[in-house]
Amino acid sequence: MSTQWKKFLCRACGLIYDEERGDPDSGIEPGTRFEDIPADWVCPLCGVVKADFEPYEGSFLPSGVWAAGRVSHKAGVVIVGAGNAGWAAAEALRALDTDLPITMISACAGDRYHKPELSIALSRRAEPDKLVREKAADAARRLGIQLLVDTIVVGLSPALHQLRTTRGSFRYTALVLAQGARPALPAALPAELCWRINDLAGWSGLRQRLGTRAKQVAIVGAGMVGCELAEDFARAGHQITLLDIQTAPLAGLLPPPAAQRLQQSLETLGVRFLGAVQVASVMRADDGRKRIVTTCGQCIEVDEVVAATGLVTDPRIARIAGLAFERGIVVDPRTLCASAPDIYALGDCISLDGAPCRFIEPIARQAGVIARGILGLFVEGYCHRPPVIRLKTRALPIVINGASVPGGEWHVVDENADFLAMEQWQAGVLQARLDVGTPHRQLAA
Amino acid sequence: MNPADLTTPIFDPSWSDSLVMERVTGIADGALADAAYRIDHEGLYPLEVMSSLGESGAFAAHLDAYGARYGLALEAMRAISRRCGATGFLAWCHDVCGLYMEQSGNPALMGTVLEDHALGRSFGGTALSNPMKAMAGIEKMLLRATKVSGGYRVSGALPWVSHIGRGQYCGAIAGVLKDDGSRSHEIMFLLRFSDDVVLRPCPAFSGMEGTSTWGVRLDDYFVGEDTLIADPAQPFVARIRAAFVLLQAGMAVGVAQGCIDSMHDVEPVLGHVNQFLHDRPDELQAEYDELGARVSRLALTPYDGSDDYLLEVLDVRTQGAEFALRASQSALLHQGARGYLMNSAPQRRIREAHFIAIVTPAIKHLRWEMARLSKEAVPA
Repeated sequence: MSTQWKKFLCRACGLIYDEERGDPDSGIEPGTRFEDIPADWVCPLCGVVKADFEPYEGSFLPSGVWAAGRVSHKAGVVIVGAGNAGWAAAEALRALDTDLPITMISACAGDRYHKPELSIALSRRAEPDKLVREKAADAARRLGIQLLVDTIVVGLSPALHQLRTTRGSFRYTALVLAQGARPALPAALPAELCWRINDLAGWSGLRQRLGTRAKQVAIVGAGMVGCELAEDFARAGHQITLLDIQTAPLAGLLPPPAAQRLQQSLETLGVRFLGAVQVASVMRADDGRKRIVTTCGQCIEVDEVVAATGLVTDPRIARIAGLAFERGIVVDPRTLCASAPDIYALGDCISLDGAPCRFIEPIARQAGVIARGILGLFVEGYCHRPPVIRLKTRALPIVINGASVPGGEWHVVDENADFLAMEQWQAGVLQARLDVGTPHRQLAA
Repeated sequence: MNPADLTTPIFDPSWSDSLVMERVTGIADGALADAAYRIDHEGLYPLEVMSSLGESGAFAAHLDAYGARYGLALEAMRAISRRCGATGFLAWCHDVCGLYMEQSGNPALMGTVLEDHALGRSFGGTALSNPMKAMAGIEKMLLRATKVSGGYRVSGALPWVSHIGRGQYCGAIAGVLKDDGSRSHEIMFLLRFSDDVVLRPCPAFSGMEGTSTWGVRLDDYFVGEDTLIADPAQPFVARIRAAFVLLQAGMAVGVAQGCIDSMHDVEPVLGHVNQFLHDRPDELQAEYDELGARVSRLALTPYDGSDDYLLEVLDVRTQGAEFALRASQSALLHQGARGYLMNSAPQRRIREAHFIAIVTPAIKHLRWEMARLSKEAVPA
């Protein structure tokens, strides 16, 4: 005979009825099965009825909440964000001071990966775990920092040096905001229907959905990321439709001759480019596919929709804390200090002279300047220079050096079937140089 | 003539904020402060004080009919909680019950019924702890309703509901069951404690004993049109949720302020040793000021339906609870043995602060909800 006693949990107050022990105070003998208890019995603690009990099989705890050790709320330097910028700040601080307490707060899992690789990972058949260069817990241990993952910042009071999160409040000595930027999703692109490839989790979700069969995918937005993804997905065997408001891909950055070459290159790979269209709505069709309707009345049905419509910095933390914000957290261009004492910011979330700069290259230098500033060391000062822009379109590599002026005039300096070089001059000064494709002599070498 | 003249002792909408606060503070610092010990230790349910607080406008200020002055309602609750956290909680219960009645738009719950409530002539609280958690996915709905001719029949039990008693009432929510037993939606109604509702004494709590808290058992209780607050309840709850939570901040700042008072009380005699403590009164005062300023700003737009606003409200409510805990701990340390006496305010406030930290939404629920609200939608 089975004598395995069961337990039942009061949903109202958490009292546990244990069949083995019964409830002698209420006249229920030890060893009374729950189903044998009279219907008018009530919870001895709170008085709710028998029907409000449910079987109880032991507690459950979510795993992996803390990536490293126990939590101290005397946090030292606090870094918000565990992307490239957050980790760069942690590395820079630790390199200069081996004992400084550092706490990192991440809304995601915090694993280290190289974000630009997401644009070329599908055609390389990369698996999500292969893209991770270092697990968050390992990096935290190596750097000797306290890491909280899946933790959201909900409040910041600069006057109190207090940062509030979904896992408690932290008193910081200095705060480094490396929150990144999030996809700017136009109202016509509902978040529950459109993938965004701005982090490993987003990429992994889409990767899993696409599976191994060829799918039809619409990519909305033919900026840098949209063009890179279009080529990558097409190489991976998917049928790609690339949509943009402009008449040519990457038209905001490239002069028409270069944009035309890019379009041709993409079309050679099988990408269908649909220019001069605006998405009016995305809906789920009856068969689970997505239906895109444009403002000019075109209707496109695809398996998946990817929004590559640019990035914005979430203004919430800055607004709550009263930090100056202008398309990003406003920082002093030399010290990278935000507008409140002991708060710094770097990476995709900042704006320098009113403009964000969302490239990898400046981040390590920014982190170095911030680390020296926090530690009170001599700071040369950050000097922003426009990063080299490289479009990861293997069929037609595109490189821009310098700071091109939107709408400025470009001159062809070299041109053949496989290669186009252009320059932009202003007042006798070379502003930018553009290389599209690969010169023949390099191919021959 | 000065409206404060004794010939017009009952609040009306023309009263200025400062006049209301003058009256409320007078009662809080007088009769309420005198009764705080008995409320805490003897379980005295301070309906007389509540009645005079009602007459002074403490429970009407936030209502549309009286100018929708949320900042004033919060100020009143702060002044009350500064002297007695249990009565501060009663004030919150009473305030949100008035909010439900007025926002229901149900004529049977407005007019003189609402006026009596707002001015402290009748009393009622709120039984939304379980449904709020149920709607957030934390636990299951305890009251179950079935549709009948002319309304609903509701059954089930709630473990502890405060500021209720015979002849009183509270806002409640029940899940409506379909024929197959699944839940179709929820209804919200004013539960009147007539004789057919079983009130069951609760076990002794560590504090807040004067809040007239009972276990409630309903057995086919009839809910008719005249007591419905919202059907369906969810859109209604979504609309009032931020206001519901924000009003609780008044309890937190009030209890914390009482703690700072206690620290100052002993500064002349104990300052020479208290200087070695952390969380000193000036530090706490700075945080109190910062927190109070944010509460005041949020009180300007209690019906802002955005997620961003709700997140800020949940944050300020959480911060208030954490702050009250720290302040109460520090107040006891500052007062030393005198704060450890059973009749001292600091040891009472420790238990009041614990209550603020665990009453729905508790700190853990607040963080759960903030995490949930912050999640971005992704294709399923």
